[in-house]
Amino acid sequence: MVIKKVTEKEKNIRANIRAKNESVIKVEDVYKIYKLDGIEVRALDGVSFDVKKGEYISIMGPSGSGKTTLLDALSTMMNPTSGNIFIEGKNTTAMSPSELAAFRGNKIGFIFQTFNLLPKLSALENVMVPMWINNYPRNLRKKTATEVLEKVGLGDRLHNRPNQMSGGQRQRVAIARALALNPNIIVADEPTGNLDSKSGKNVMELLRKLNEEGKTIVLVTHDLNLGETTDRQIYIKDGKIVSKREDAFGNRFK
Amino acid sequence: MPIDTIFEAIKNLRREGIKTFLTLLGVVIGIMAIVSLASIGAGLSESVTAQFEELGSNTIFIIPSGMGVAKISLTQNDIRNVENIIGVKSVVPIYSTQAKMEFNGKKINVSVNAVEEDKSDLFGGTGYFEVGEGRNFSKNESSSILVGNKIGKDYFDKEINIRKQILINDVAFKVIGILEAQPASFGGAPNSSSVVYMSYEGFKKITDKTDATIIFASSQFKDETSDVAEKIKDYFDKKYGEESVTVSASEQLLDQINVMLGMITLFIMGIGAISLVVGGVGIMNAMLTSVLQRTKEIGTYKALGATSQKILAIFLIEAGLIGLIGGIIGIIFGYATASLIAYIGTESGFALNAIMTSDIIITSLLFSMTIGIVAGILPAIRAANLDPVEALRFE
Ligand SMILES: Nc1ncnc2c1ncn2[C@@H]1O[C@H](COP(=O)(O)OP(=O)(O)OP(=O)(O)O)[C@@H](O)[C@H]1O
Ligand SMILES: [Mg+2]
Repeated sequence: MVIKKVTEKEKNIRANIRAKNESVIKVEDVYKIYKLDGIEVRALDGVSFDVKKGEYISIMGPSGSGKTTLLDALSTMMNPTSGNIFIEGKNTTAMSPSELAAFRGNKIGFIFQTFNLLPKLSALENVMVPMWINNYPRNLRKKTATEVLEKVGLGDRLHNRPNQMSGGQRQRVAIARALALNPNIIVADEPTGNLDSKSGKNVMELLRKLNEEGKTIVLVTHDLNLGETTDRQIYIKDGKIVSKREDAFGNRFK
Repeated sequence: MPIDTIFEAIKNLRREGIKTFLTLLGVVIGIMAIVSLASIGAGLSESVTAQFEELGSNTIFIIPSGMGVAKISLTQNDIRNVENIIGVKSVVPIYSTQAKMEFNGKKINVSVNAVEEDKSDLFGGTGYFEVGEGRNFSKNESSSILVGNKIGKDYFDKEINIRKQILINDVAFKVIGILEAQPASFGGAPNSSSVVYMSYEGFKKITDKTDATIIFASSQFKDETSDVAEKIKDYFDKKYGEESVTVSASEQLLDQINVMLGMITLFIMGIGAISLVVGGVGIMNAMLTSVLQRTKEIGTYKALGATSQKILAIFLIEAGLIGLIGGIIGIIFGYATASLIAYIGTESGFALNAIMTSDIIITSLLFSMTIGIVAGILPAIRAANLDPVEALRFE
């Protein structure tokens, strides 16, 4: 997979802009501990970091290291055992479940490895799901949904159902759905995991484009090449953030 | 905006197609059973009421107790005494006996009913019979008879026509009319198709019997009817002993019949209700399966911002809609079934009538919707309480 690497110069420019921005996501000493038959599994073991507005970061680490758990926690899908998550300055761990749902629906767009489209709905209807859930004005739904689908290059597939589309097209429908309510934050857990390299590249280019338009993006991947294309990487191993890639993956990749 | 939730629920049901249909079936059958029976029951009660209204609500029936094997008979003396009770306006005794009828060289047994000729209008007016061919009695017709439809058409090798001569207990009579074939009814009238009617003058020629079988009395004023009936009853109780004669005002009789009808209807509707509960279990089962199948979908909804309440609402509305739609279809089919039963019943000689009232419609719709929602509560709560992360991981 050949994806345009960000040049050092570009990286520096981004870093400078970022430093001036406020944090969009602030993860503060987060623990997630599962107890299975009396045995403790520390899926997250004291994690803290910030994501600035407009940043494009990847969370990387080997299988079972806690990437998905971290993403679920910072996207308010699960409550951490302890610690706080702030999104746009609001402490989400203090919110009630229904406040959280509405907050999540409007602020965060989700992209999943397995797409999670509703199989019996057309592309257009799938994109409209977050709209009726979050009470988006009825008369604008079709128009907006069509626009985002055109944006991801599926203007000619509006009425196809998921099983009438390729994997790459399905993931683009899912991206359009994530964009439906124009959220500031997009989270993606292994969005290319189920795709061939060409479709995967296509999806990654789309994410890059969205970031350039100002979206803050958090990508989870265990694919080093993909991770390197983002502005910044957070390496994680056994539920802890480690500073260097080698600490997470060992010296196998150099 | 709950309208969205309702639309989504409707769309979901449509997408599920055949499964929705099968779930509906349980409700449809239950409501159909209840509605068809309620409709027939209401029809029966309406036609009985109509019959009694025709009779007049100030009519009082006097009948010796112990159908068929009456211990006492109503004598001419009794008739005069009833006539003299204060508040009684008129008295119509009806006489009946078994007699031999001879026509075309063949003899058969028939029952003969008679009324005093100056009261024959009242006789007809009680709904006892309707003349088909020919005419009713006029004055001074001691040798005229009306013949029941069956006797006229079926009992003899040759059909009996109007103006034919017939022998009854060896006395000659002229047929002046053939009675309309009439379905049996709850009004208490005997089936007029195998009966001969004549005037009391004629009756006296064929038998020595002077006792009446039934007496119809009418009260002067409508609101005194039950008081007058009470007085008549006192007279008979004193003369023949308690309960030897049944005296009932038409309204009382109507009430009794309606109570009885109501009980039968309620009983059968209870059976319908049980089948509805079975339908409810069907809904619950279908919804539980659906929650399981749609686990990942529910997780997706939650990730996209759906609150637990919204998920709860979607599933409850789906279940309620199954109940409502099943109820509507059940009412339509139930009324169709009732009409069919009424048609078959009437054709085979039993007066039935299917009617639809707003009470039946509203009650059965409320009932079916409640069943749906109650059956949907458990699955809906289960769906609403799903943890989004676990739901999304569900395979
Ligand atoms: N519901 C749970 N109960 C118990 N343990 C869990 C649960 N969910 C996750 N874990 C454990 O937490 C750890 C982190 O899991 P997580 O799914 O976050 O890993 P990951 O980094 O996303 O892995 P992969 O790259 O394979 O997706 C694993 O050891 C996993 O077994
Ligand atoms: Mg994972």
